[in-house]
Amino acid sequence: MSNLLPFVVLGIALGSVFALSGLGIVVLYRTTGVLNFAGGATGALGALVAWTLLEALGLNEWVAYLGGILTAAFLTLLYGVTVGRGLAHRDPLTKAMGTIGLLLALLGLMSLVWNPTVVRTMPLPTTAITMRIGPVVVNGTQIVALVLALVVCAATAVFLKRSKLGTAMRAMADDRTSTAILGVPVRSVEATTWFVSGLLAGVSGLLLSNLVNLNAVDLTFLVIPALAVALVAMLRSVWVCFAAGLAIGLIQSLLTPVLALSPYRSMTPFVVAVVAVLWMAWRRPNVERIA
Amino acid sequence: MMATGMVSHGRDLSPLPPAATSKRKRPWWLSGTPVVTAVVVAAVFVVWPMLASGYWVQASTSAAAFAMAALGVSVLVGRVGLISLGQVALVATGAWIALRLGYGTGLPFPVIVFLAGVGTGVVGLVIGLPSLWLSGLTFAVLTLMGAAAITLVLTVISFPNGGGGLTGFASTGDSAPMLERPMYADSDADYFRLALVIAVLMFALVLIHLNSRAGRAWEAIRQSPAAAIGTGIDVVRYKLWAILLASFIAGVAGAVMAGAGGIRVTLFPVQDSIIIVAAVLMAGAFSLWGAIVAAVLMKFLGAAFTLLDVSSSLLLILFGAGIIQVLLQSPQGIVGQLQGVVARRRRRDRTADTGQAEGEQDA
Repeated sequence: MSNLLPFVVLGIALGSVFALSGLGIVVLYRTTGVLNFAGGATGALGALVAWTLLEALGLNEWVAYLGGILTAAFLTLLYGVTVGRGLAHRDPLTKAMGTIGLLLALLGLMSLVWNPTVVRTMPLPTTAITMRIGPVVVNGTQIVALVLALVVCAATAVFLKRSKLGTAMRAMADDRTSTAILGVPVRSVEATTWFVSGLLAGVSGLLLSNLVNLNAVDLTFLVIPALAVALVAMLRSVWVCFAAGLAIGLIQSLLTPVLALSPYRSMTPFVVAVVAVLWMAWRRPNVERIA
Repeated sequence: MMATGMVSHGRDLSPLPPAATSKRKRPWWLSGTPVVTAVVVAAVFVVWPMLASGYWVQASTSAAAFAMAALGVSVLVGRVGLISLGQVALVATGAWIALRLGYGTGLPFPVIVFLAGVGTGVVGLVIGLPSLWLSGLTFAVLTLMGAAAITLVLTVISFPNGGGGLTGFASTGDSAPMLERPMYADSDADYFRLALVIAVLMFALVLIHLNSRAGRAWEAIRQSPAAAIGTGIDVVRYKLWAILLASFIAGVAGAVMAGAGGIRVTLFPVQDSIIIVAAVLMAGAFSLWGAIVAAVLMKFLGAAFTLLDVSSSLLLILFGAGIIQVLLQSPQGIVGQLQGVVARRRRRDRTADTGQAEGEQDA
């Protein structure tokens, strides 16, 4: 049992980041109706920008990280106020396809600017901090991931329920036009949401570049576990997001020592999502549709 | 032409261009100019392999395969309104099945191609099935995940190269195995001709479907699933049918690819499944010509970029920007815009004698 504990730690850390990036997708979908496939790509861009600021320009590391995260956030905001606004009145599938365009363009841009054959690393200073909790060794980045996911989930839940902006967001999820008639500044609320989801994508990208790999294609397609998390949460519940993220991360990590299944462990998000979707279809076949 | 870019059409991916709703559900080019189509195909069949260099003949073969794959996407996107983000992964599945059968059995080439299509159809159904009762958004997400899963499995088990067991992979064998071509199509030029024939058969298969009960049911589902249920159409069954057809074609395309050259997993990256949807949307999802234009965009532009030593990353940026432009401004894509020009000219020619240009909507 005790030799499984390191995998539990890894899984919780990975799962926390999946939860974070899934949360970014859920919050954006709840407000704007856009399912953002490009969250992984913006996060990857943020991480690569941070790497450049740090390695090539030799800036202070915290400035570099902040620069990376803000790049992701402002890029997402830019997309939201241009293309996102142009597609605001269209159906959810068209809106989602727009973000797929963003994904492709960013993927191309990244392999153009950052040669994909070069191996890059950018260890966060927190990764160097290690401590023992009982029998296992835990590093700082893993703790940061878990704490951040907990705090952000809690803050989002409270924010959506209590604050004025959160109420406006929930109202817009129900009916954008009516909300606008009620005097809510719909566009600025949407812009705020795009920015926040970009921030979450940036933070997730930075953490994943440490937990997994600093590689444009890998990070871009780490949107898949995030989408699985969002799907399990039925694009709605903040806490289910958190739980689903942890579950996917844990299962994936605990499969590592199982020899026969180890190479297939990255399929976990797909399998979990299929099970969740089947369950949803079985529970409520016609009533509660996503989108 | 209406200002289609402005119209929001309820649940549709995008409004249908006027040309495609005309009387008979049949694209104008087929009812109007089948002869021209036949002549063009014959010319490509006979002349092109003589003119083109080996490099371009090979590019043409993979373009023919991708035209089939794009045709499947086009049926799903343009006719049923489903976005599948896993089509190229299904092509890879078809290639795997074809190679496994090719090395494991002595079946003739056409049988292998057919069985690759059937096997891939089953895989596509399994991936598409869970989300059928939910929305198109779920289908898109699950097919993307399915594509990643298929790519992962193929990376682990590799393509069969004559080994034993279920996977048929031997570590000592060829790392980029190839399906044995039939005797009558051994040279690259002849194999391209064979690929072209298979592609024409697939287009015919789709045309038959579109003009049958299934095509009408798909049209109804795309316009409004609720109304389709109301008229007694079994939405789930017809969606499954479309997915099966698209996956079958993808599998056939995969078998054709397997005979075209050495197959390795890196030929089918996950993003290609996304790019092919982008290409179809850019080229136009509402006309079957769009599938051909999409394949040409994907494969010929790629081949040209490689020749000119331009980074293929530019292609990705082009497709990404292109898809956004199409969604924002012209849902009918390149082919739709061309057809719009032709349709307008035709209408101008015959406005005097018939006044029925506007009243062509039948449900």
